[in-house]
Amino acid sequence: MPLEPIPVEADPGAEAPPFELRLDVFSGPLDLLLHLIEARELDVLTVPLAEMADAYVEHLANHPVAPAELADFVGVASQLILLKSRRLLPGEPQPSARTGEDEPDEEELRRRLLEYRALRDAARQLGAWDGERVAFRREPREADLPEAPTEPMPASALADVLGRLAAIPEPEPPPPEVVPREVTIAMQITALREAMGSAGRVVLQTVLAACRSRTEISVTVLAMLELVRRRQATVEQTELFGPILVRRIGSEAGT
Amino acid sequence: MSAVHDLDAYFEALLFIAERPLTTGELAGLGEVPDLQAEAALNDLGERLAEDGRGLRLQRLGNEWQLVTAPELGARLAAYAARQEARLSNAALEALAVIAYRQPCTRAEVDRVRGVDSDYVIRSLLHRRLVTEVGRRDTPGRPILLGTTFTFLERFGLTALDDLPPLTSEAAALTALTADAG
Repeated sequence: MPLEPIPVEADPGAEAPPFELRLDVFSGPLDLLLHLIEARELDVLTVPLAEMADAYVEHLANHPVAPAELADFVGVASQLILLKSRRLLPGEPQPSARTGEDEPDEEELRRRLLEYRALRDAARQLGAWDGERVAFRREPREADLPEAPTEPMPASALADVLGRLAAIPEPEPPPPEVVPREVTIAMQITALREAMGSAGRVVLQTVLAACRSRTEISVTVLAMLELVRRRQATVEQTELFGPILVRRIGSEAGT
Repeated sequence: MSAVHDLDAYFEALLFIAERPLTTGELAGLGEVPDLQAEAALNDLGERLAEDGRGLRLQRLGNEWQLVTAPELGARLAAYAARQEARLSNAALEALAVIAYRQPCTRAEVDRVRGVDSDYVIRSLLHRRLVTEVGRRDTPGRPILLGTTFTFLERFGLTALDDLPPLTSEAAALTALTADAG
């Protein structure tokens, strides 16, 4: 019975998401925060960092970051939100009463930003030099490699080596039973054809009885099915587990 | 005068045939002079190579020295040397900058300055031999200390770490402050 092809239906609900290319990849939360400050032409030294909270959170919401780095981005977001919430709640006791100075959290974050900015700028300079200012060292030449002994070798040395090689016995042939016996469908088709002989038919079980392994039995059955598929043989079985008669097509006409 | 320049020339020739960087001590031993005199001659050689605009420069890392091609020729030589390395990502450059300016420093310090986990980029820097383990800090956990290599100096055409782009002064002060605190 021919197999019906299984229809593959496209799921109408699953539309491919639009391809999105992002160029503004930030290398970390400080990179993002610094970018937001600089994009607004604000001074890192003086900008109230609490005012950056909204922009930072909004950017983070619209531009998801890699899961591995998300915690670091969210960490800075929470710091900014904390700073902002302190400003909004006048009743909150100010940890630092000194006027004109950042409270400790803001001071710490600003210090990290400045430190990061210096290294980011240096990294940019290094990036500009990368590939432009390379200084090559001398590559070791072949002549620098350790030299082989240069003393002349007497020809007898070769004979000695040959003599020793000859003394080594040939490895014994491997025991035959460990060699996997390869059985192919083509081989078993030939076997089946031979078994059908001039009579043009054979009981499958008699062929299977000669098989030496489960694999060979399986391949023989497959070979029988292959013959049927090629319309070179028919198969009859009158009762369950009864003998399977394989009959060559055209044998009766031929003989 | 000529004896001093003889020493320069001898060191220049030694470094030319050397298959690896040579230490000040090795060069002093070969030149049969005290280490200080060898170092003075090497500094003199480095300055003259740069001032005369020669095709070679003297590179120094710690107490090791090697001759390399002049960085100005790098782009033109790259075609001959057929060595065009893939560009480093911004994240990798940042981690490299932290290690270069703070060395020797730990992975945790790189993470802290960048504000983001840097394990992956540091591993790629180690793999490219731009940084290497230079020891362990004597604190709990004995964290690995990282430093830059000759490969780093070569890649960015630096004759020594003093050639690194200067950090802005206010940031340098902050860095010093943070280093004191930590």
